[in-house]
Amino acid sequence: MEPILQVNAISKTFNLSKKQQKIEATKDKIKVALNRLSFNAYPREIYGLLGPNGAGKTTALRCISTLIKPDSGEITLNGFSVTSQEDEVRSEIGFLTSDLKLEEFFTPNYLFDYFSALHGVDPEVAKSRKKLLFAKFGIDRFAEVKVGELSTGMRQKVQIVIALVHDPDIIVFDEPTNGLDILTAKVVTDYLRELRDAGKTIVVSTHIFSLAERLCDRVGIIIDGQLMYETQLTETNRSEANLEELLFRLVEESEARKHA
Amino acid sequence: MRNILTIFRKEWDRVIKDKRLVFSVMLLPGLMIFILYSFIGGAIQTRVLNLETRLALINEPAGFVTLVDTLTGDDGWEYQSDDAESISTYKLHIDSGNWELLIIFPNDFDEAVNAKEIPEIEIYYNPNEPASSQLYSQYLRYLSTYHQQLSLAVYGDTQAFSLTVDSLPIDETKQTGMMVSMLLPMLVLMFLFAGAMGIGPEAIAGEKERGTIATLLITPVKRSEIAMGKVLGLSVLSLISACSSFLGILVSLPKLFAGEDIDMSIYSFTDYLQILLLLFSTVFVIVGIISIVSAYAKNMKEAGTLILPFYLLTILIGVTSMFGQQAAANPWLYIIPLYNSVQTLIAIFTFDPSSWLYTVITILSNIAYLVLFVFILNRMFKSEKIMFSK
Repeated sequence: MEPILQVNAISKTFNLSKKQQKIEATKDKIKVALNRLSFNAYPREIYGLLGPNGAGKTTALRCISTLIKPDSGEITLNGFSVTSQEDEVRSEIGFLTSDLKLEEFFTPNYLFDYFSALHGVDPEVAKSRKKLLFAKFGIDRFAEVKVGELSTGMRQKVQIVIALVHDPDIIVFDEPTNGLDILTAKVVTDYLRELRDAGKTIVVSTHIFSLAERLCDRVGIIIDGQLMYETQLTETNRSEANLEELLFRLVEESEARKHA
Repeated sequence: MRNILTIFRKEWDRVIKDKRLVFSVMLLPGLMIFILYSFIGGAIQTRVLNLETRLALINEPAGFVTLVDTLTGDDGWEYQSDDAESISTYKLHIDSGNWELLIIFPNDFDEAVNAKEIPEIEIYYNPNEPASSQLYSQYLRYLSTYHQQLSLAVYGDTQAFSLTVDSLPIDETKQTGMMVSMLLPMLVLMFLFAGAMGIGPEAIAGEKERGTIATLLITPVKRSEIAMGKVLGLSVLSLISACSSFLGILVSLPKLFAGEDIDMSIYSFTDYLQILLLLFSTVFVIVGIISIVSAYAKNMKEAGTLILPFYLLTILIGVTSMFGQQAAANPWLYIIPLYNSVQTLIAIFTFDPSSWLYTVITILSNIAYLVLFVFILNRMFKSEKIMFSK
């Protein structure tokens, strides 16, 4: 099967300000966030990008979603290049991260229509999709309440729904259950599985390994911007695979290499 | 185009659906100006009316009284006639600010004049009191006229030459136009900028600060369309805000210039239409500048700080309208942003025959600046360093 998302040897560096150097406790003026990272994701698959904080997961997802550009390497999504065909990529992708906020003044109803229009969704299609998604996530009762007046959980549900207004083929979620209560988290993970079963590709990043074990079909472990390990989670190895222990070992090996 | 309108409508809704913003952006500017100018005009008027004119004349000749009667006409005048014994009392009153002016004629003034002697008139006033100084100047003029009148009667015509001044009657319309052109261009520019400054940083720097701009940037909408939609939305809102200010100025002008004959109906509907077109193109330039600064700023606070020098520069450009009696004649000057708007407004207000030429040059150059600003904004929206810098 052809991969729908191909991440091919992407690197990304950031300049560190004096303040950032202090926070990171380093004298290096440049931070390597991604170091020739490569992985693929396929249709009908939930791919999990795992790693500790600062490993480069969010940077990788931001590169995929066209918010930032890799310094080198190439990402193609459904055949479109992330660096040269950004608008086409944006039409194919639904991206959700805590960095993306909604205007608190507007209602979920207004924002759904607004983003549907920006994605070029037909008003009739948008109307029926809104009805479906609002009902699924329990937003319908709050459709006319300003986002600023919603609870944190409800606000995140609205963000998820807004990210899906155009029914994208590829859904990229950065820490999908962060800040959600246990019931809402279940609604979200169930829906991600539902989307996968409907033929979508889902890429999630998380540092919660138990979530990855439950949700993902394949996982890649990323440390210091490099993909250190990748595996298919089958029914057999899902329970056996102790990803957390694997991560500890990989981090130790990485530290040892650095100090060698 | 559809995306531009979608973004425009959202910017519009953000203000129009918020009662507080509608009040502060659309009603408050005009209301504040009306209240402020009415208060200033009222205060000036009250001050003028309340200036005391307590005048004492000692031994005043009948001829002088008749002359002042004639000169003051319907306004009339009041004075206290007294004798020489009260002089020291009046002087004390004038020193303490309780009385304004004392004019002391000699006892035998008329006889002395007729005998071709030179009698001395003494004036006493307090230069530290505005009312006293004003009355002193006024009566010095009356005395000068009285002096000429008496010289003619006693010595005959002693003038070396006579003077006849001939001119067209004063063109009230042109006079009003010149007065308006000195004040309004600066005020209009100031209020245009202030209106845009009130909403511009919120729409771009505010979105950056709150993280909502990223949600917009991952949609397939072209950055240039985002820039155009934002600039268009902010321009229309700023123009409404400026119109509110402009209305406030027009309504309060008669109160501000109480006593002066300011009649804004000297300008035709076409003149006002010309002004509106000009203002709309000017607002593009102002909103363009504010949008670029806001896009560069990390947050609204920084945007406010960075915009301030541009606001001061705009006021400085506006002030130039006070120094010229008429609009600049060099058409090339009309490609300088903001300065072109000030000069064109002067041309319209003073009925300059070239005002339409200046208006067209200004509008065209402002549209060119708009294109440039949208291009820059487009680049800025594409820059991850600018959009996501913390």
